[in-house]
Amino acid sequence: MASRLFVRRRDGRIEVRLNDAGRALAREAFGHVLAAESDADHEWHASLNSPINPGRDVDDPLATLNRQHEITSHVELAVATLGEEFLNDAEAWAWLCTLQVALRAVITAKGIMSTERLNQADEDVRTYIETLQMLLFSLAEVM
Amino acid sequence: MPSVKPLRVSDETQVASQTTTLTERPWNVVVWDDPVTPMSVVVVVFRKVFGYPNNKATQLMLTVHHQGRAIVWSGPLERAQGYCVKLQVAGLLATIEQDS
Repeated sequence: MASRLFVRRRDGRIEVRLNDAGRALAREAFGHVLAAESDADHEWHASLNSPINPGRDVDDPLATLNRQHEITSHVELAVATLGEEFLNDAEAWAWLCTLQVALRAVITAKGIMSTERLNQADEDVRTYIETLQMLLFSLAEVM
Repeated sequence: MPSVKPLRVSDETQVASQTTTLTERPWNVVVWDDPVTPMSVVVVVFRKVFGYPNNKATQLMLTVHHQGRAIVWSGPLERAQGYCVKLQVAGLLATIEQDS
């Protein structure tokens, strides 16, 4: 992948400089988020449905429905723009949110809630996390 | 049978005042630290969700990083819930709690 994965152009658009491997990784992450949203058995499902008010047994159904709707909207926009050379701000925000949701879902599913646990994780998992972080770093830089 | 005293105006006022105090306690939106989320992403999310200027967003991000959590917004329940959802949609670990 190029050193700067996303570049803000003078016309305001964000150029996506991901190679095929980078886009494939993003596609895979977006696909998992989309699947996890509707599949209760998906490894990432719990992370996408974390409590809003842990002091209550059940969260406000309207709030959880709103969360589901917004996550789905973002991931659908991210998937629809996967092949684009340039993103507008709304599309870049959808990418950032979905990549970050994927990153958090990985650590929740693997029980990685501390730096120690992260260091002990399988190399494949660490590499996946580091690659998602690299994409997020670069995207946040231009937002 | 125990005798039931009629409710006096002063009792009603007291009950009403206690209820008001309970319902008016603000709700805090809390963001929790995790070992992987890039700091710059947290700053971008705070700017975008709350409209905070960069220095305030950075300060809150550093509080999360160093103290493990930060109260990023306080106010009525419905708005706190709405902000919490937006932070979760952006992939942050966020919850709400009533101010003690």
